Amino acid sequence: MTTQLKVRSELALTAEGVEALSALRNEPTWFLDLRQRGWRFYEEIPWPTGNEEEWRRTKLTGLDLADFRLPDSPVSGLRVASTAELPAHLQEELATVESAGQLVTQDGAVRYRWLDPALEAKGVIFTDLDTAIREYPELVQRYFMTDNVPVDANKFTALHAAFVTGGTVLYVPRNVQIELPLHGVTTMRGGLADFSHTLLIADAGAEVTYVDDLVSADQEASFHSGVVEIVAHPAAVVRYLHYQDWNVNTWHFSTQQAQMKRDAQLTWILSSWGSRLSKINLEMQLQERGGHGELLGLYFPSGRQHIDHHTLQNHIADHCTSDLLFKGALRGRSRSVYSGSIKVHPHAQKTDAYQKNDNLVLDKRARADSIPGLEIEADDVRCTHGATVSKIEPEYLFYLMARGLSRYQAEQLIVTGFFEEVLNRVPVEGVRRKLEHVIARKIIGG
Amino acid sequence: MPSELVIKDLRVKVADSDLEVLKGVNLTVRQGEIHALMGPNGSGKSTLAYAIMGHPHYEVTEGDILLDGESILELEPNERARKGLFLAFQYPVAVPGVSMSNFLRTAVSNIRGYTDKPAVGDKPGVIGSNLMPMKEFRAELLQKMDEFHVDRSFARRYLNEGFSGGEKKRVEILQMAMLQPKIAIMDETDSGLDIDALRIVADGVNKLAGPNLGILLITHYQRILNYVKPHFVHVFYNGRVVMSGGPELAATLEEKGYQWVKQQFDEPALVTA
Repeated sequence: MTTQLKVRSELALTAEGVEALSALRNEPTWFLDLRQRGWRFYEEIPWPTGNEEEWRRTKLTGLDLADFRLPDSPVSGLRVASTAELPAHLQEELATVESAGQLVTQDGAVRYRWLDPALEAKGVIFTDLDTAIREYPELVQRYFMTDNVPVDANKFTALHAAFVTGGTVLYVPRNVQIELPLHGVTTMRGGLADFSHTLLIADAGAEVTYVDDLVSADQEASFHSGVVEIVAHPAAVVRYLHYQDWNVNTWHFSTQQAQMKRDAQLTWILSSWGSRLSKINLEMQLQERGGHGELLGLYFPSGRQHIDHHTLQNHIADHCTSDLLFKGALRGRSRSVYSGSIKVHPHAQKTDAYQKNDNLVLDKRARADSIPGLEIEADDVRCTHGATVSKIEPEYLFYLMARGLSRYQAEQLIVTGFFEEVLNRVPVEGVRRKLEHVIARKIIGG
Repeated sequence: MPSELVIKDLRVKVADSDLEVLKGVNLTVRQGEIHALMGPNGSGKSTLAYAIMGHPHYEVTEGDILLDGESILELEPNERARKGLFLAFQYPVAVPGVSMSNFLRTAVSNIRGYTDKPAVGDKPGVIGSNLMPMKEFRAELLQKMDEFHVDRSFARRYLNEGFSGGEKKRVEILQMAMLQPKIAIMDETDSGLDIDALRIVADGVNKLAGPNLGILLITHYQRILNYVKPHFVHVFYNGRVVMSGGPELAATLEEKGYQWVKQQFDEPALVTA
């Protein structure tokens, strides 16, 4: 289908590309300025060399940005009025979750959007970034890559700022509680570079669940450099479920950060299934007293996939708790890296922080590295961390097979059982089911 | 014709080592028969149980295991189970995160042939659409749980996780009841049980015993034989069946102790060691 795309040569990942993109989208000057700032930082920040601790185990060999181009957007012609007009795989994806709003983005442009009118009436904003820039500039100016994920956080966030396309802006006003989840699906075709952004703001006392799915439209290589910014204002309750299932030829870079204000609660679930290589940075900032954050991760690389998660539980204020559990299984010749840190600032007394990473290595040639860490500057805190890397117990396999289960069924039960601890804590039933399906698929190496 | 498990001149060593554990075992168990296999610790009883079920840790070097005339040596443990063999474990393992009912439904569906049909309307590789119907399975499971004194809450609990010794053994019997094997090998099912638990487990075995089930009851102690009456008793020592007889052999053994066996069958080299 690529022949139908009119490739504009100016839409390359270059300084000219930045201007062309902004012009094509009729963006205000302030946003072009932000893009250009992103481009300047991108040029200034050197490529990771492998000398930095964070990049010691993850190499970018084989990545050439010249292989990818920006989508020929805006693709307004692709927008549809009902989900029935969407491709089957997107319909299926949407059907997994019973939701109060849906936003489908393909190749950096909205294909479908729906929000329960009752929520519109309450002032909930659930839209794409382009629309938000036009209609809610003050919201974007206040929150978009300012003090949460700064433009110059790293080379990929700078590149993201320069070329951000599509993405979701979700704002829930004060004390508005949304019962059903909102559901975003981002998809892209091979050869493209995707810079989608998720901006989730829950105002004081608000409650929201957002399911953020990333899926490929085909099997060709593509490139994603994403940013997720979450702000949970005082006493807000936020559940954010990030599900990455690109094809195994795609490069995935994602920087995600959540700011938690007083007594805010956040359940943050990150799952990584697809991509050729993933480098994901997560930071939970407990900025004010009484915050409670739960950070759960699932990953399952197979074949030659490489998945790298780095987490930071950043305890800035006192009396906050954070609870992290990352579990990964590995198949084939895949590789995973988990590195995590709990940082407790001098004033963050009565911090209660937990960090655990478990890995189940299914094949001899797969390898999991786990590097947990603590950095504690307060004296009245409770912090525990731990990491395990193990294989399937042969005695489990024998027991289950002796009862008539095939090796595959036994492995499936054991691996699903391994993930159960996290699956049990997934607050959206449809997502839990989807996770069970993807685990079953990954066991056969898919 | 009743099913028949024949163990013929079986020699087994520990895989990747030279340690020979079974040194020419001969034994036949038919449907409808209860055999007690008694022997001291370290005589190779559990190895025999594992070898029959196909544990990869043990390697058959000579001899054969036949079920209804066909060798099962090349079969995976699940294929042996499918042919009607069952092993009740001495130490049932706890598998984290695997619920008993989920596991058992899959097992029963395989054994009864439900999963021979391809899955329909489901994503590939996902257990579900071709299993025994949930309602039917559940009804049967609950009925059997009541019958074998297993609390109904165990269905949702993780397999053997946090179960007491007695609970684990009762759940083994429950699984056996659900899977309806032709020949069951019960490896020291009585070990580590207090008298009440032992009685419940023995009652379970007696309920299941009958013309359709052959039982090989492996035990160190005579006491379970106060509750389960075997047709045949074998004495196992140093990797072989050294004596066979009727129930009276168990009584003799109880009276004279394993020392009596050792004196008769010890290899001289071992005595001096």
